[in-house]
Amino acid sequence: MSKIFSRPLLFLFALILGSPGYGADAHHHHMPGMTMDATGMVMGGNKDKLPDDCESINGDFEINVVAGTEYAEPYASTMFGFDKHEWQVKPCSRITVNFKNEDDVRHQWMLHGLPKYLYDRGMFHMEAAGGHSQTGVFIVPSDNKTYLVHCDIAQHMEKGMKAQLVVGSGSGDLWSIPGVTADFERPAGILSSKPWYALLISVPVFLFVFFVGLRFFR
Amino acid sequence: MTRLYRILLLIVLVLAFAVILPWQWYPREWRVWYADTFGASGFQQQAEVIPPTPSDNAEEACPPDIRGWRKAQTIAGIEITASPNCLADNPHAVAAFVKGTNNVGHMTLMNARLSPDAVVKGRDLDGDGDPDAIHIRLEVFELNGGSPDLDVPVTQYSIAPGITPGLWVFAPKSAGMSTENFESLLAQPGLRLPSPAIRVEQGDKVIVTLENTHYMPHTIHFHGVDHPFLTANGEGNDGVPVISEKPVMPGKQRSYEMQPRQTGTMFYHCHVEVQAHVLMGLNGMFIIEENRPNNWVQTFNIGDGFVRNSSVAVKEKYDREYDLHYLDLDKELGEKIQQSNDPRIVTQLINREYDISQADFEYYTLNGRSFPYTARDSLIVTAPGETVKLRVVNGGSEGVAIHTHGHKVTITHYDGVEHPEPARITRDVVWIASAQRVDLELSTENDGLHSYGEGVWLMHDHQEKGVTTNGFGPGGNVSAIVYERYLQDNGWPMTFGMGWKNFLTPGFYQRQEDGSGATALLASVEESGPSIMRLALLAVLAGLFFGLLVSWVLKGRSRV
Repeated sequence: MSKIFSRPLLFLFALILGSPGYGADAHHHHMPGMTMDATGMVMGGNKDKLPDDCESINGDFEINVVAGTEYAEPYASTMFGFDKHEWQVKPCSRITVNFKNEDDVRHQWMLHGLPKYLYDRGMFHMEAAGGHSQTGVFIVPSDNKTYLVHCDIAQHMEKGMKAQLVVGSGSGDLWSIPGVTADFERPAGILSSKPWYALLISVPVFLFVFFVGLRFFR
Repeated sequence: MTRLYRILLLIVLVLAFAVILPWQWYPREWRVWYADTFGASGFQQQAEVIPPTPSDNAEEACPPDIRGWRKAQTIAGIEITASPNCLADNPHAVAAFVKGTNNVGHMTLMNARLSPDAVVKGRDLDGDGDPDAIHIRLEVFELNGGSPDLDVPVTQYSIAPGITPGLWVFAPKSAGMSTENFESLLAQPGLRLPSPAIRVEQGDKVIVTLENTHYMPHTIHFHGVDHPFLTANGEGNDGVPVISEKPVMPGKQRSYEMQPRQTGTMFYHCHVEVQAHVLMGLNGMFIIEENRPNNWVQTFNIGDGFVRNSSVAVKEKYDREYDLHYLDLDKELGEKIQQSNDPRIVTQLINREYDISQADFEYYTLNGRSFPYTARDSLIVTAPGETVKLRVVNGGSEGVAIHTHGHKVTITHYDGVEHPEPARITRDVVWIASAQRVDLELSTENDGLHSYGEGVWLMHDHQEKGVTTNGFGPGGNVSAIVYERYLQDNGWPMTFGMGWKNFLTPGFYQRQEDGSGATALLASVEESGPSIMRLALLAVLAGLFFGLLVSWVLKGRSRV
């Protein structure tokens, strides 16, 4: 009799132990997908929950990011930086981010705009203490979209720690990404948002006025 | 003649082209030169102009305490007293500062938004029941800084309605974002002016690590705190770049060591380009408490103000304790970090071009706020028959003459050194020069000398500039000594004069309303247009253009 029941019981026991959240390590606390200790934290980690619009995981990507003041050097007017400021992945893919911080102060690799039903505040957030590394995993939805990646310590984004994750064909470049769209001085003036357009108009206008003027006074 | 016209026309066209050419296409050096010579560019002007706000858009005088931070509570085994003011300090952070961020749980740290190594409390060296090996970590934050993408300041912190001067502050090492949340531009409550008061116990082995999270070099000098000139391993420990050590560069860190033998209210500040860095907000109070058994001191008092967990020695003599930090700010200095997003240009503007000898000071703050915001978190709340300890520092560049309505206070300590009791002075105006500290004893005994009785008694700098914000009043460091009977349940004082609604609109401090409420016709006073030089340049262009036009028409006629 006992032998008959022992198998399903054992199976049930194994199921409970194996279920996500139960056998998790000591760092897991009130929020799913969150770890935190003296080396930093990962929030919004997601290894297996598919976004509603994805049938299956469409490939695995691994991103290695190094952060520090050293990586600001190639870009004028920045002080903090990542070694890369743009990554491209496929829709519905699973992304593993290995984030290494070479400075002596903390830095973040924070991604915004993920679906809020799956990620708290639509955010995947990693913070690495000075000299430490963090690894986190998340899954992107199916739409072609460009996601903002940055460090939210005051002025770190403004001074260079700004990047973009392009999913599929993306949804257009973001502003002031070092090496991609960087003009770190804020644009001003009437036509400045499209400099080439402005150049195309202003040069013919200048030439026209110039030659018409010369003809008048000849 | 035609030759002259051609030359003139060429000049006009070149000038017109120069004006129309988008600003950011000019070389950077030219733009810096231009900003120096002709004043603000469009970027700066936009930052200054705040759209007029009708007074029915007034902010709530006292925002509701949704998170329950004001009430008395026990967190991580630490009993935290109720805070009488409208805006209270984060009690989770207070608990973490008392117990040590290494000794509290994950939830407390999350609610406090602190890093696990912000305040590490270690061994009990003298065996009296409290930790004596203390490791403190400070970061540097820029508040109201510029952004390449937005025309409003980022990591915002208002000292008064609509007043957001550029600031740098020290803050305990935090975890996570600098803003309230990612949809907000407002700084999280732990990041504010002034740099926090730091408390240690006499004889503690203290390490303070500066983690420079800012884009400019900084140091810490511990003014008045007993510390050796060199650390144990022979590195500079006085924080002075020209004497003891190189500054801490962005992304780097340095540790300072001390074991203070003397008690008292002291001071700490950045010692890099002091004429600018200290006045940007990089200065705070440093207090060494008397050594007592089981004396768990509150290592940080964020924003100063009411001390929710006073030391054992203070509790022996006093009913309540307040930290008061006076600081005047130069509007033009603060604007420099909003003028450019390029650290090289900001460094040039602040470290090389800022001339303090030509400066004047527009903002007068008490605990990082100017009136009416001072009433939210820096009222001195008391009751009859109490003795209250006030620790006062002047972090600004001008002296302050603190006047207490309805009370005469007794000065017990100068610069942290106790004054002999028979020689103590009781007075109603206390002069505090730059960087000086006084400890005041406020007695609420209604004897016509120490106190005239219960009420809402104003407390302010009696140099009249100090009660203004950008020269406009009421503003500045005006606060009050408020008796509990005159305090509403939400911590806002009962007032019997004119309503404060006008003071709680950004438009008021743009001079859209008279401080006395007598007129409402001054809306256009502060509207900033293009600079005079720019107008003159446009006039020259217009003059040349019309001159050419007229002479061409006349020339046509003469031929007929």
